[in-house]
Amino acid sequence: MTLQTIRRAGARPYPPRVSAFTSTFWAALAKGRLVTTRGKTSGRLSFPPKPFCPFSWEREVEWAELSGRGTLYSHTVVHAAPNVFAHLAPYRVCIVDLEEGLRVAGALICADEPMIDAGVEATALLHDDGPLLGFMQ
Amino acid sequence: MTPCIIGAAALPVGRHQAPRDADLQTLERELLAGVVIDAMADAGVDKSAIDAMVFGLERDYPRQRYFGTFMANYLRLPATATLAEVTGNGMTGGLAFDQAANEIMLGRARVALALGINLETGIPTAEHLDNTMRHTGDVDFHTPFGFTPISWYAMDAMRYMHDTGATRAEIASVAVKSRAFAAMNPLAQYRTPLTLEDVLAQRMIVEPLGLFEVPGRADGAVCIVLASEDVARGLDTPYLRMRGRGFFHEGAHQINEVPNDMTAYLAAEAAGKAAYTQAGIAPGDLDFAEIYAPCTITEVLASEAFALVPRGQGAAAAAAGETGPGGRIPISSSGGCLSRGHPPWVTGLYSFVEAAEQLRGRAGDRQISDARLGMIAAELGNYNAALVHIFEAVR
Repeated sequence: MTLQTIRRAGARPYPPRVSAFTSTFWAALAKGRLVTTRGKTSGRLSFPPKPFCPFSWEREVEWAELSGRGTLYSHTVVHAAPNVFAHLAPYRVCIVDLEEGLRVAGALICADEPMIDAGVEATALLHDDGPLLGFMQ
Repeated sequence: MTPCIIGAAALPVGRHQAPRDADLQTLERELLAGVVIDAMADAGVDKSAIDAMVFGLERDYPRQRYFGTFMANYLRLPATATLAEVTGNGMTGGLAFDQAANEIMLGRARVALALGINLETGIPTAEHLDNTMRHTGDVDFHTPFGFTPISWYAMDAMRYMHDTGATRAEIASVAVKSRAFAAMNPLAQYRTPLTLEDVLAQRMIVEPLGLFEVPGRADGAVCIVLASEDVARGLDTPYLRMRGRGFFHEGAHQINEVPNDMTAYLAAEAAGKAAYTQAGIAPGDLDFAEIYAPCTITEVLASEAFALVPRGQGAAAAAAGETGPGGRIPISSSGGCLSRGHPPWVTGLYSFVEAAEQLRGRAGDRQISDARLGMIAAELGNYNAALVHIFEAVR
């Protein structure tokens, strides 16, 4: 499933490091797809993606596509921000429970006051230097 | 060998560190040495009895590194058991005590010091946050969104209000009762009485937490003197005997990738149960609890997880005065992180100072009458882990 994408001018304030392994995740997100790893034997999804299954410790993992649909578990607005994010403050962040049973964190984009337990959809925030994961409500 | 606390001393919590460009600098060695000498005078034993020193790791800001071994030289203090610096974010002070207690229990040390200094207020807050945002969450999958350490607690508050119907005002009442305690504590950073209206009127820091619901910036230094019980008994002065200890790390960092009840503070619940069991007590037997809780909501949730108040009623209990001065179960009679003050990497050690004052009957106007049994808790992450110690008074 392809996520909605939003263009964001400028570079990410605090860009994530990318490894040879996690580059698969970031390249997919840049194309509007949310993926993570699953243990081949355990069948269990993990997030963030890892070169092993944290539940079974097997090294054989495969990439799996996620729907990007979930519910809002919690959220906040950061007013007192670190220097690197100060130009964006106040800004929203959130915790989301994906329908595949994974809890993740991201930026939150919404026009009205967010509603806990209501649905959200993942979105790819496309900055000049790469993507970040966001959620829309 | 049962670990006992026979002495304690601390700097008043406050802003001690000079700005980087000041002509006169604050030297960590001078501040901590003074506290060590005071603590040993309080304990009433000679420095030659000290076999172990466990330091909480310092912040990155003071210039001297390998501070523990530096201080062994500065204080002319050889050690036969151990000398180490330990770290665990907010749990750092608790872990320093824990490791020192281990040296007593193993019979390697007669007297051990758990000590540390946290200097950070010379660094502007936004710059400090550039550093501390890397201490919580995942630097690649969380930090890029701008999470700060206390933003995780703020999300606890949002979820808690949604689940229980608790109001922001009820949660904020923790700040009022913390200040009421701190007004009676000479070590406290903020001692001017506060009203609930004052707390609710402050600017937002991270929603729904305003300025007075999150910790201020602070420096501090602490030294706790531990001893084996035969040493403690020989002093003929009141001391604290360790009755129980519990620890639990839930194997998750900030958020659990497997969705769970984030506000249940499962690690605190498990560590608390383990400590109560070892001490052979029920939570209701405690006379007080000194809890590491940087924000109002943190104290609410920890008080529930440690079974000091019923689940879902922590905020209401605080608002009703149950955890304040004269209440059913006083929590953080020092004034806690919000008013005693929060120099994070020694905050855990300040908890032992308060327990030493209360259980030796020296807490002045904030003395809890006939305090016999007290609990101390430290945590890291968003209570992803908890470390609990229970002490009884021996007089």
